[in-house]
Amino acid sequence: MEHKHQVIVVGGGPAGLNAAKYAANAGCEVALLDSATRLGGQYWRNTGNEIEDQATHHDFDQGSLLMDAVTANPRITHYPNTTIWSAAILDDEITLRTQDDVFSTTRLILATGAYDRSLPFPGWDIPGVMTAGAAQSLLKGEGVIAGKRIVVAGSGPFLLPVASGITSHGGKVVGVIEAAGRFAWLPEILTLLQNPTKISEGLGYLLTLRKAKVAMRFKQAVVAAHAGADGLLDSITVANIDAEFRIKSTYSLQCDVAAIGWGFTPDTSLAGALGLKEEVAADGSVVVVVDDNQCATSPQPEVQVFAAGEITGIGGSGLSLAEGAIAGLSAAASRTNLRQLKKLRRRAHRFALTLQRVYSIPAGWQSWLTPETIICRCEEVNYEAIQDVSEKFGADDARSAKLMTRCGMGMCQGRICSRNVADLLNSPDSDRIKGVYRPIIAPITLGELAQDGLL
Amino acid sequence: MITFTFNGLELTARTGQSVAAALLSHNERITRLTRISGKPRGIFCGIGVCFDCLIIIDGKPNQRSCITEVKEGMVVVTQDGA
Repeated sequence: MEHKHQVIVVGGGPAGLNAAKYAANAGCEVALLDSATRLGGQYWRNTGNEIEDQATHHDFDQGSLLMDAVTANPRITHYPNTTIWSAAILDDEITLRTQDDVFSTTRLILATGAYDRSLPFPGWDIPGVMTAGAAQSLLKGEGVIAGKRIVVAGSGPFLLPVASGITSHGGKVVGVIEAAGRFAWLPEILTLLQNPTKISEGLGYLLTLRKAKVAMRFKQAVVAAHAGADGLLDSITVANIDAEFRIKSTYSLQCDVAAIGWGFTPDTSLAGALGLKEEVAADGSVVVVVDDNQCATSPQPEVQVFAAGEITGIGGSGLSLAEGAIAGLSAAASRTNLRQLKKLRRRAHRFALTLQRVYSIPAGWQSWLTPETIICRCEEVNYEAIQDVSEKFGADDARSAKLMTRCGMGMCQGRICSRNVADLLNSPDSDRIKGVYRPIIAPITLGELAQDGLL
Repeated sequence: MITFTFNGLELTARTGQSVAAALLSHNERITRLTRISGKPRGIFCGIGVCFDCLIIIDGKPNQRSCITEVKEGMVVVTQDGA
């Protein structure tokens, strides 16, 4: 079926919800497309059971109000379970295709969010090793505690709600392993003090962990995982690391789940397919370039594309909400409250940059790899193969690595490995941006294409 | 409560749960074996991004178990080679 809308928002998380709300309140007719069944995004994992959601999320109230406002707004049509596989600008119109539908508009707001950043290490493909986000989605979205002895590791503030959530639901966290130092916040204490709600949120998590006697370890990292006879995770090697993340000494820890997160990677697949201008941010991730009104640089000026939330740079829900609101207003050409919103955004942005500095990830993780370590999980390409590309053939780009090794050619389309391959090859920024370009955004069968008359 | 089968074994799941979560609640952690080295894989990203938890559902291979809701009578089988 074909659908035409005045404004289309893609993504039902904090940024997308606020974008839809503000655009609709400013008089626009809005379609909100989301791949999930229920609104909320990865941040407000909305299971449809409000009592449980309240218990697993520290600010579900805010999300609940926003989701209700969006659902109740007669100017907003919500399309759930809507996965876009192709995006293009044709005849002064933006066309988005899903398996069954074609959506078109001249004003698009992208709020496609982010997913966990993963670093490879020996054994990270063993069942039981997962992202911190996976453990969180299992708990919040599914009511399942990921394992019996869980290690939460990596770097960044996200590790705290994950570990504290598991603990307060009766799960056993055998350690929280943070790569940054215990006092990594000290140089940024002024910014922290300007954000008292963040302090109280963080202290709440720490208190839960302390009560449950969960060990917090700093300047350490999980550098290897080991399987038992059943092929499942049995133990991990934890290292004391230096400031560059190189291994100083190691010890072993038994666990059946290692939930590891190294911050987040923006999902700019749609932005890339539309040819929007992208750049490499300070944290090394590829982000959409936007102006003061969240307007992206579109290859065709006849259509307007806005971007909000994590795809313009990792910054958390507060920044996403502010950017979403500004994008919604801009798409509706309204200026109501714009100045206050920009002030909010500036403050949240400053906090986001501080977080990126405190939890930065130096290149020393590359010293954890062995020749056999899997780099591309889909195509099972190991570190030795990637090294060959660079040493024997002098390649520094993902395309050469792809052609020679198949890394990034599997089902995930390089979403997990491309950033790491770029780091390993020391790729220039232009190549990092090309490396995340995917003309087909979600897998689709030839049969489905033929049905659509596109073959 | 929902009843489904995994490799012929009858298991229960909570309404609305994903296949991966339902399996994990019964301590079933392997969804597929890789097609090159035959190594086991299970849930990794949990949000449909990484395609590691692929599984055969009602005869259809390459289904992401972490974002597919389990349904009454579903026939789920470990995928050998993906």
